[in-house]
Amino acid sequence: MLDIEDCLREILAIPGALDALAVEDIGGAAIATGRGAGGFDAQATAQGLCRAFHATLDALGPASPHGTVRVEDAIVTADQGLHLVRPLDTPLTGPVLLYVRLDRDRANLALARHRLRELSGRLITT
Amino acid sequence: MTASQSLEAVLSGLAADRATGALRVGRAGTVYLTRGRVSHVESPGTPGVEEMLVASGRLRPATVRGVRQSAGELADGGERLVRQGLLTRGELQFCVLGATLDAAFFVLAAAGARTRFRPDDRHWIGDQWYFDVAGLFRECRRRRDRLDQVCPSPELDTRPVAPVPRVPAQRVVLTAVQWELLRHADGAATPADLARRLGRPVYAVLLAVRQLGAAGLLSEPEAAPDPPPGTDRGGPAATRAKKGPDAPPLPVRTRTGPRPAPAGDPADLTDIGVLIRLRDALERL
Repeated sequence: MLDIEDCLREILAIPGALDALAVEDIGGAAIATGRGAGGFDAQATAQGLCRAFHATLDALGPASPHGTVRVEDAIVTADQGLHLVRPLDTPLTGPVLLYVRLDRDRANLALARHRLRELSGRLITT
Repeated sequence: MTASQSLEAVLSGLAADRATGALRVGRAGTVYLTRGRVSHVESPGTPGVEEMLVASGRLRPATVRGVRQSAGELADGGERLVRQGLLTRGELQFCVLGATLDAAFFVLAAAGARTRFRPDDRHWIGDQWYFDVAGLFRECRRRRDRLDQVCPSPELDTRPVAPVPRVPAQRVVLTAVQWELLRHADGAATPADLARRLGRPVYAVLLAVRQLGAAGLLSEPEAAPDPPPGTDRGGPAATRAKKGPDAPPLPVRTRTGPRPAPAGDPADLTDIGVLIRLRDALERL
């Protein structure tokens, strides 16, 4: 069992992790940040991530064979790293996004996805 | 503290004094502070932590009531729930901060309300998350701006939600919350009523309603279709529509009767009503 801050600490312990963020996905507020190398603007990042994530869902619904979509995680490969977003939505937590930016040279994407899935599970499993 | 002093000034003062206690804001709700930071906000118009714990299906009402009563002034209810293994601390934190953001949206916007501070009064759930006063006001303003960016029609917030009988397009893409709204909207329930029925935060419902409005999926009140023959549902839609833009931003709880059935209940009478009207409408085509 994890609390939000433990969860972010653990996310930052993923090999290659640079920054981490938990976002409340109704209003798009940054709830907590992992203290990474970045010094990024958490609120602006949170709002941008929500918009990007929703836009992705809007596009993938029609692009999916049956017109519905349930995203497990979203990965963007960019010049400044791998960006990984994982939604978590239970009736108790409401919609939440967990975000981590990974170093392209040091991170193992498969491992990072696995760890993020496991950590989001531990947030909601007693 | 006088009514003329703005709520933001009052709360900023309490934050500067690193105060602990509960600030009652007229009838809009209560803001709980711990050493100058906001630990909880409650409003009668939005689902509180207790309701969310039960609506999520995770805890029985009697369990929550029992924990609340035994927590009392110790304010360790959340601690007890976690210790008993009923939920994780992460779940509790998200639940409390979600309920707080939802209530703060309405409580912090209450203009001219008389405030009364009770030192050392704490919420039974205890401290699970903290917001700084300025940050919470900023977030609430951002949430309000967002509604207007989506669709600048504040009247949608208080009007009964009435989906159009025919979609003005060939295809529609819906979010999960929009789907739930359309499934439960009966032309009489306001967004606040629907939030309660769905166990969703009121703000999430307001946002979805504005999105539906922007997409042209909601009827204008005057264009609402006549009730089908044989169904008597005259009152509520007409009287509630009068609330209009003068109504306070707080969505007042309008139902005092028994709680509506939860979303997934197959015997939900609301749905039967919708189905009957749908059938009648189809027969008229």
